Amino acid sequence: MNLKKLTAVLLMLVLVASLAACGGGGGEEEPAASTELNIYMWNEYISDELIANFEAENNCKVNLSYMSDNADAITKLTAGGGQEYDLIMTCDAYMESLVAGDYVQAINFDNVPNATANINEAYWAAKEYCVPYLMNYIYVVYDTERCPIEITGYQDLVDPALAGEIGSVDGARNLFPIALVALGYDPNSTEESEIAEAYEWLVDYNNNVVAYGGTELNITNGTVSVIFTYDGNASWAMSELGENNNLVIAPFESDPVQLGFDLYVIPKGAAHVDLAEKFLNYICVPEVMAANLEEFPYSCPNDAAVAVASDTYKNDPARDFGYKQNVFFQEDVGEAITIYNDYYQKLKVGE
Amino acid sequence: MKKKNRLPALAMAGPVSVWMILFVTIPMFFIIFISFMSRGIFGDVVYDPSMESYLTLLDSTYFNVISKSLKVAAFTTLACLGLGYPFAYYIAKRPKDQAAKYITLIMIPFWTNTLMRLNSWLLLFQTSGPVNNFLQNSGITDAPVRFVYTDELVALGMVTSMLPFAVLPMYSSIEKLNKSLLEASADLGADAKTTFQKITLPLTFPGIFSAIILVFIPSLGVYTVPDMLGGGKVLYIGNIIKNQFGMIRNWPLGAALSCLLIAITGLLIFLYTRFTSIEEMEVV
Repeated sequence: MNLKKLTAVLLMLVLVASLAACGGGGGEEEPAASTELNIYMWNEYISDELIANFEAENNCKVNLSYMSDNADAITKLTAGGGQEYDLIMTCDAYMESLVAGDYVQAINFDNVPNATANINEAYWAAKEYCVPYLMNYIYVVYDTERCPIEITGYQDLVDPALAGEIGSVDGARNLFPIALVALGYDPNSTEESEIAEAYEWLVDYNNNVVAYGGTELNITNGTVSVIFTYDGNASWAMSELGENNNLVIAPFESDPVQLGFDLYVIPKGAAHVDLAEKFLNYICVPEVMAANLEEFPYSCPNDAAVAVASDTYKNDPARDFGYKQNVFFQEDVGEAITIYNDYYQKLKVGE
Repeated sequence: MKKKNRLPALAMAGPVSVWMILFVTIPMFFIIFISFMSRGIFGDVVYDPSMESYLTLLDSTYFNVISKSLKVAAFTTLACLGLGYPFAYYIAKRPKDQAAKYITLIMIPFWTNTLMRLNSWLLLFQTSGPVNNFLQNSGITDAPVRFVYTDELVALGMVTSMLPFAVLPMYSSIEKLNKSLLEASADLGADAKTTFQKITLPLTFPGIFSAIILVFIPSLGVYTVPDMLGGGKVLYIGNIIKNQFGMIRNWPLGAALSCLLIAITGLLIFLYTRFTSIEEMEVV
């Protein structure tokens, strides 16, 4: 065999070997494990250390992209999110539509045993299709020194004494439910007349509000004395102000508070389902989630993680309130969402 | 007949034309196209022709928001002209090297991100911030004054972000002013006021018009300033459009609102070209 022929044969061998590597073996062999995981979620909502540890354990690269609004995630999902992402974060309110529209795929829970073992069933809607991550109570917190009145229900928020005192979360589906509850209606009402009444109520509420968003900053720097906010943000404000802060969670007598979940779904057509399921299983390991909770002290549906979490987390005053069971969930309101949006817009334009 | 060589023209205008067609013209036509479509249950765009979005615009809510946005943009423009013209005049009268330094000073805020600048306004003026601390420590006020999330702070934010766009074209216009005309005016007995009214102002009009266009149009569509400094309480047309594409997810309505904004801007540019020719535009 001359040198030319030998080179040609060697080259052929190299080519065949590299093709085999690319194809992951094919035939009876197992498909090669994914080495890349693309996640779309909220910014500042998962520990960098958790991600780094997962990458090291699974010899892979996790690419995080961030949304600025829940609607962004829905846009990604309905526009064929699987082409770009393997995991997308969304919330419980959209699950019904997403499942009905066939935008998310069922998760194989044989590969995610930690979720089944540790997550509280009561906090798990559309169980086949998602893994709950963290959850938020949206409640009222106020500064006892500076707030002119005691707040025991949503109706107190429209008291003229609170003019220029309230900092609030934004969004039609966060604001309208409290008005509907205050008026004695279903927080997920689809009746236009009830939503119209809620709008009138919110006009008064809006008069008392100083700013939407940045609630935790506005109460710590003294701009407002009352905030309608998420428990994670209240927790930040309380720890920022130190132990002797005057912040209390409003002692609601009968009004329920909203409880929402952020959860992960696998979009239809996701490329790295194996790694996505490994990731979901990993974040449900009690110790892993407990460490994550130190950095992001939100309420967590993973009971086992809460059990092994630090005392600081367990004794967080932002989650120490007596009416935790008196909650309502944001439900899919279907076409009525346009009624909500129209009134929300009217509220913000300020006619 | 010798064939005209088109290569130099193609080489110079070609890349820009391709860029403009790809990233301005096509997206703009797409926006116009979407504005005539319908919204699906999941907030997706359904390719089913409909005039619904334009009919929605007839609602008084949108009329209010547009008139409010026009007022804010008009105020910002007037304030920028009022503050910018004397400043531009002052710089134009300095020696060249000094003028260059002043121009650099105007540009410096643009070296940082707009959101950073807006956040710094919030930090500066917040209830426990340096301005309030100073006012209280020096005994000017007893209790903290709430500056943040007020219309005044929004106005301040708008004016500071837009001022350079007003100063630069006016500076360029004033700087080009032929000094001999001013001397002639003085020789013929006109006082400073008359010279300014009859000579300086009319000759620097193109610069003033450019400033109006450069400030008014962006102010009309801006949404970050009212969002951050106004506390998201009051929405202008820019915020409404942003919400349609984001939170509310009604792209056809957002597109129709964008078309309306394009129409308003188009009308302004048409008026502008009636007053001044393209060669006179003093865009730096």
